[in-house]
Order: sequence, then structure tokens, then C-alpha cells
Amino acid sequence: MEVRSSMSRFGATSLLPSAIVFSIVQEMGPTITGLVVSGRVGAGIGAELASMKVTEQIDAMEASAVNPYRLLAATRILACILMLPLLTIGADACGIFMGWLAQTLVAPISLHQFIDSGFRGATLSNFLPPTFKTAVFGLIIGLIACFQGMRTRGGAEGVGRAATNSVVLASLFVILADVVLVKLILVIFP
Amino acid sequence: MATANDAATSPTGPETTGPQCAIEVANLHKTFASRKVLDGVSLAVNRGETLAVLGRSGTGKSVLLRVIIGLVRPDIGSVRILGEDIEGLSLDRLGDVRKKMGFLFQHAALYDSLTVGQNVAFPLVHHRTDMSKADRDNRVNELLAEVGLENALNKMPSNISGGMQKRVGLARALALDPWILLLDEPTAGLDPISSGEIDELILKLQSEHQMASIVVTHDLHSAKTIATRLALLDRGRVVIEGTFENLAQSEIGLVKQFLKQS
Repeated sequence: MEVRSSMSRFGATSLLPSAIVFSIVQEMGPTITGLVVSGRVGAGIGAELASMKVTEQIDAMEASAVNPYRLLAATRILACILMLPLLTIGADACGIFMGWLAQTLVAPISLHQFIDSGFRGATLSNFLPPTFKTAVFGLIIGLIACFQGMRTRGGAEGVGRAATNSVVLASLFVILADVVLVKLILVIFP
Repeated sequence: MATANDAATSPTGPETTGPQCAIEVANLHKTFASRKVLDGVSLAVNRGETLAVLGRSGTGKSVLLRVIIGLVRPDIGSVRILGEDIEGLSLDRLGDVRKKMGFLFQHAALYDSLTVGQNVAFPLVHHRTDMSKADRDNRVNELLAEVGLENALNKMPSNISGGMQKRVGLARALALDPWILLLDEPTAGLDPISSGEIDELILKLQSEHQMASIVVTHDLHSAKTIATRLALLDRGRVVIEGTFENLAQSEIGLVKQFLKQS
């Protein structure tokens, strides 16, 4: 709604659907999804593995000749890599829908018209790279959370520290990776 | 009540070939930060034999077990399991050695997101991939029956007592028919009746499976019941090693004090 008032000053309200769609799909959707997953899943993985570590469950796994990195870490990292792009698509769809809702409250427009106008002139290269860059976010979140969880020491305090560190570090590295990946995407898809 | 010596003299067992010396540790040293935990420990355990490692808290007993199974790497010294030096083994090869060993953790270390049955089945699922589900279920039931917990199959570890958790841990440790059993304080924190039951169970397993075992314990009565030999550890060193009678006759002050206080 704020963007609308800014754009109306320049008589560019007709570009509002495109502005909403592009900003959500190219930047806001992937980044917000990455940060939400860092907080929700990163903390969960970090705390779960840390709890297993301090209760010797991971040692028990090693003693049973089962590689805990393969069984616990690799599967979680893979799940993060696969799920982030899917969640991003969901987040983009919700964002666009809410964008239309906000727009239609002020100046009624049909959803079909909004989407048609928003995606006009768009190519796959506008949407696929930003969506699939979140697989890298998934890798970062999974790696950091598993690393923090599996190197925990010190009982309940250690579990809390692992969860906190997972969220803080994963969020930070997601933002840093986003900067690098946006630059890279702009170079590859000018 | 049976004793460890009766069990050790039983000639039959599922595996009678291979090296006689199952566990051989030589000159083990381990330091954490600036604290020396193991200071030149050397021990050997033959097949069919149970060694009880005694000592005060913090003398390196649990670390010794962790070094033997390869969870902790020693600074100096060697560990030979069934004739094979585990130092420098690849992860896969070390895994093969570990499959011949069962480890009961001090607090059982059951997987808290799995049921009792799934905990016991865990090693089978990962290492007996040729086993059908029906065979695996039978084996799990058999193991749980062996530790007297056939009714706990679908319970979660958080819903059973500490003694029962230890039994489940023992059943899991036995799942792959190990040649070597390492028990970290199997009776710690248990009431005398549960402790006695665990001791009986260990003796039964010794006589049936001819395993080499190392039992870390504070419980002298339990050690006397289940062990063929005892070793007293102090400040990371073996102060004395021998039968209970050897320890009882020892003139070493610490040994006398330990036996008196126990």
C-alpha cells in the first residue's frame, strides 16, 4: 500500500502489479523464506542433534557402526536443499496473492488481471534463478544447523547454545549468500 | 548363583575360531585440555573372560571404554581388537570391527524418538539388510525376552524405568551377536534387585555366548560376581590387576581402602 502511494505520485500505478510480482519473486520471497526456515528449521535441527549429542545417542550410533553424519546430517541437509525452493514457490504465491488483496482493497482489480499485468514481459530467467538460489540457502541452513548440533558440549546449556547459534549464523550466512548470488545471477542472466 | 569363573570355563560358544586375545590395549595415554585421564594403561582380555575395571569417579574408566571402541582417539598407545590395530583404520573398516562389539552406555543412550523395539532393531536394520522383516521382528522379540522385557516392545524409552532402559541398551548391544561386550556401569543407579538381575543376565550371556567383556563399575559386589579378573584404576593408571583374591591380599593402601569402603 505504501509502494502504491509512492508510485501514484509519479503516475505509475499501472506498474504496481509488476513491481509487486517482481519484488516478491526475485527478492522478498526467497530471502524471507530463507530467514524463516533459518529460524524455524535451523533451530529445530540444531537443538535436536545437540540433544542427541549430549545424551550420547550419536555416540551410540557410532558404536553401532552407523555413520551419524550420513544418517542424521546428510539427510537433513538434503531435505533443506530440496524443500527451500518448494517453500519459496509457496511463499511467492502467498505474497502475490496478498499483494493483489492489498491492491484490490484500494483499487479493485480482478486476480486474473493482476497476475496478467504482473507477469507481462517476464521470462523464466526472471523467476527460476531467484527461486533455485534458495537451494543454496537450504545447504547453508542444513550445514550450519547440523554442524552446531553435532559439535555440542555441555548438557542443556549446550543444546540452547546450539539452537541459538544455528539461527543466528544461518540467518547471517543466508543474507550474505543472497548478496553474492544476486550479483552472480545478474552476471549470468543480465 | 552362578559365578563368572563358572561361565568362563564353559567351552562352547557361537564363535570358537579367531584370536584368543579379544582386547589388547597397550600404553594408552589420553589428555583432555591439561588433564591427564589415561596415563599408560595396558590391559588384555581373552575371549570368554570378563574384566571389571574399578576405580573412583574421574579416574578414566569410561574414557578407556570409549578409546577401546574408537569413539575417542588416544594420544599415545594402541588398541587391538581381535588382533587388529584400530588406529588408522578407515571408517568402513572401523565399522566392521565395531560390528563385532556391543557397547552399553552408562545412561543407556537409547534413541528417544524410537520405541524400545525399534531401538533394539536399529543395528539389525542397518547391518543385517539380508534379514526379512519377520526374521528381524523375531530376533528383536528374542532379545527382549532375553532381558525380560518382551512386553515393552512398543513403549518409548521415556516411559520405562532406568533399569529397564539399561536392559534395552543391553539387548541393543547384543543384537549383532558381538564377540566383545563393553559395559559402562551397568548397575549404577539401580536398586539391589535390579542390579542382581543385570548381573545374572551378564553371567548368562557370558556362559552362552563366550564373549570377552570389560565392565566398568563402582559396584564391587557386582564386579566380584561377574568378573573373572579385576583391575583397579587410579589417576589413569592400573594400580593392580588380578582375581578378587589377589586384590583382597594386596598390601597396596589404595586397594585396601577401596575394598574396605566398598
